[in-house]
Amino acid sequence: MADSTTAVADTTDDEGGLKRSITGAQLFFYTLGDVLGSGIYVLIGLVAAAVGGAFWIAFAAGVTVAAITGSAYAELVTKYPQAAGSSLYVQKAFGNKALTFLVTVSFLSASFAASGSLAAGFASYFGQLFDGGGPPALLVSLVFVAVLVVINYIGITESVVMNMLMTFIELSGLVIVMIIGVWYVAEGNADFGTLTDISVSGNPALAVLAGVALSFFAMTGFENTANVAEETIDPYRAFPRSLIGGMVVAGVVYVLVSMAAALTVPTDQLAESDVALLEVVKQGILPFSTDLMTTIFTIIALVAITNTTLVTLVTQPRILYGMAREDVVPGVFAKVHASRRSPWVGLLFSGLVVGGLLVTGTLVTEAGGKLDLVNRLALVTVVFLLAIYALVIVTCLKLRGHDEDERAFRASTPLLVLGLVGNLAILYYAVYDDPASLYWCAGLLAVGVVLYLVEQLFGGRSRPRPGTASRAPKGDS
Amino acid sequence: MHVIVATDGSRQSLAAAKHLKSFADPTKVTEISVVAVIRPLASVAFADDVSERGFDGSFRDAAQSAVDTIAAVFEGWGPKVNKRIRSGSAANEIIKAAKQYDAGLVVVAAGGRGLSDSVLVGSTAQRVQHYAPCPVLVVRPAPKPKKHRA
Repeated sequence: MADSTTAVADTTDDEGGLKRSITGAQLFFYTLGDVLGSGIYVLIGLVAAAVGGAFWIAFAAGVTVAAITGSAYAELVTKYPQAAGSSLYVQKAFGNKALTFLVTVSFLSASFAASGSLAAGFASYFGQLFDGGGPPALLVSLVFVAVLVVINYIGITESVVMNMLMTFIELSGLVIVMIIGVWYVAEGNADFGTLTDISVSGNPALAVLAGVALSFFAMTGFENTANVAEETIDPYRAFPRSLIGGMVVAGVVYVLVSMAAALTVPTDQLAESDVALLEVVKQGILPFSTDLMTTIFTIIALVAITNTTLVTLVTQPRILYGMAREDVVPGVFAKVHASRRSPWVGLLFSGLVVGGLLVTGTLVTEAGGKLDLVNRLALVTVVFLLAIYALVIVTCLKLRGHDEDERAFRASTPLLVLGLVGNLAILYYAVYDDPASLYWCAGLLAVGVVLYLVEQLFGGRSRPRPGTASRAPKGDS
Repeated sequence: MHVIVATDGSRQSLAAAKHLKSFADPTKVTEISVVAVIRPLASVAFADDVSERGFDGSFRDAAQSAVDTIAAVFEGWGPKVNKRIRSGSAANEIIKAAKQYDAGLVVVAAGGRGLSDSVLVGSTAQRVQHYAPCPVLVVRPAPKPKKHRA
């Protein structure tokens, strides 16, 4: 075969010939940036409404379940370091094409819904820059998505430095909230009774569960780190540390931020606000101009939301690309631009689906439907992701004993079981609390099914299928 | 002379490799390094359009297949052929590789002729031309592409 000639050699030079580029620290900030931007800025008010002053408990419980799920991902990523993530694990564990398809399409749908929720959240904060006036929210969110699609196409998102910078800005906003909290406590104004107040009538445990379901959107995003698994230096050490470490830090930040918000702003005021974290800044507790602080904080929130939306928009064309290469969806999604090498068809399609969600949501609201678009799409994301998370934990347990590698990370089994129960409990409550979200889930799944049918009916076998490789098979280690 | 042949997995990069072979003197070229760069944070970190191999979710495997395919062009030509996969920003990594291997020539493909290439600056070939430590051969597509007839 070709490779046996001496003239051609796989070089193992100074950098191993196979140079990887993502360091553990970069992975940590990637996780943190991805998790922190989604939700805390937009959802904290809803969680406060569901639980009362003690809503920090909901954030603590949610992030715990998410971190345990993260440990399952860390185990699977170190065993199978490929970009395909959850679909790959499910395929390895069950070998069932229909199930793998369902997981892939669910993941894609979750990503669409997340982008929609974030875009709507972006519009809420953007409106704050114009004292009540300003362009209509739908227009802002659509332009936002369009701009991100273009940015993605050009490839600015590929800059690791840019990613780190945005994560720092994202963190700075939450640090401001924490400083306000500490300041307020130091001035002796804080009433710590608020932190144990579950003001909702009925079962307090259920109230917290409702809060967890609402806040869970803020915990998602860590699963995207599987994207860079292959490119991480020393993944066996770096991955578990960075992923779980990132989740723990996110958890601490969330708990402190929600405590600060609960102490400084009356719960009902938080509950009524679309931009609840901004209310903390607007209290004017710090001795600076409140107007200036409000503007700065609004911009920080916009950057935070943008950062997370960018990552979700990177994921969608990637999933479509993988599916197209396997002849599951039409081959156009495997098209990459000749010089930019970006999957422009997939990117454009993703932008259109997200735009479609935003328009549909606005139409439903205008038709008199009671709908909080940010919340609804966040919940749809959460329903999809919780189901996937639960399945990934099962997969992790099922794949024990297969492809074992002593360097691979091993998650704690009792914790995984706890995480599985946690994911299912939150999933059950989320669906029970808002069954209408299932229509949205079905609608998004239908997009995937339609693409599948189009490929089956009209698609040719445009590309060679795996297995017909001309290249010599790699030795299985 | 050490020549770097960059590939982004595009057919044009395969054409560039063949172009080099069509005119260069193999006795003057001591070594060829075929370099592919994976872009970890991109939607599609590496798109392999040159090999026959399917995509199984691993962009590293895709890059490896592309590098293998390009390297096969130079098989039996004379110079020693190295295959190298790097990770990061495409232009930066190609330039770094050129410095590191003390290259005498870098061969890159310039993608399309479309509007986006004239409107949006910053493509890989352009950046390599500007900052490479050695001469750069930019192989552009032929002016009149063959029409695909089904």
